[in-house]
Amino acid sequence: MSDAGAEHLDHFQDLEQQAHAARLGIWVFLASELLLFAGLFALYASYRAHYPEAFGWGVEHNVRALGTLNTAILISSSYAVATSVHMLRRGRPRFAAGLLVFTLACGSAFLVVKGIEYAGHFRDGVFPGGHGEFFVGKPEGVKVFYTLYFLMTGLHGIHVVAGMGVLAWLFARILQGKLTPPHTHPLDIGAVYWHLVDVVWIFLWPIFYLTPGTF
Amino acid sequence: MKSISERATSLTFVALLGLTAGSFALSYVHLGVLNIPVALAIAALKATLVIGVFMELAVEKFTVKVTMVAAFLFVVLLVGLMAADVATRATAPLLPPPPS
Repeated sequence: MSDAGAEHLDHFQDLEQQAHAARLGIWVFLASELLLFAGLFALYASYRAHYPEAFGWGVEHNVRALGTLNTAILISSSYAVATSVHMLRRGRPRFAAGLLVFTLACGSAFLVVKGIEYAGHFRDGVFPGGHGEFFVGKPEGVKVFYTLYFLMTGLHGIHVVAGMGVLAWLFARILQGKLTPPHTHPLDIGAVYWHLVDVVWIFLWPIFYLTPGTF
Repeated sequence: MKSISERATSLTFVALLGLTAGSFALSYVHLGVLNIPVALAIAALKATLVIGVFMELAVEKFTVKVTMVAAFLFVVLLVGLMAADVATRATAPLLPPPPS
């Protein structure tokens, strides 16, 4: 399969079967990612039930506009990748590659916004693990909130960086002419991973930005 | 493999932006005890759209769908057991041990 075109690997009957195996593989991987993040969300729920005031206060302290901006950025990038998949299948590789560049720009913008937020926390003396002068005299729950905040958004950020690496590699493959119809499923797989990054953020956004106060 | 139409992809994008704007606006409305459930319900709807349309799970083969159903049920089982534990313990399990 080193050359371009519809060649399939020897141990598959045809390209369709190979593409299906590849897609099934990425979905099984996503299932393991789901378990990883679900554990953290469950931890958040348990601690929020235990420290409702501290968590409500912590959410209030985050900049809602920046979180919302990042939500819009990631949703736009997901749309760009989904369209890129369509364009490659239609035999328009340059358009598809251009959309991947846009997606990489979105990913970079997301990281810049997140970096601005982290910088703001560090200026305030908020560090992971309840370290920093910000926490002096604050209740225990505030430390727990920010530790979970850094853990969950940081782990998500690592996924953003990994996704950008995958998409950059696919961009190079497209420009080299290695991905042409009907051999387009590698882009499907990279796109599905990028959408997972989007889905995780879709849930991080409400729990860390949209739900201040106690109920 | 069947493919989602480009039109459906575009409509989904518009719906996602609408739901995002709606969720943002609702976060300034005091819904009391419904605040978190409503925000999470909108998030679940958005995630369903991304997974079904952008990730094309809606037109995937049965084996792929069953993988996600199994993962989802597994999460429900594990998180459900954890919630039952946290909710029914007589003493708070979550407090860090006191400094020695």
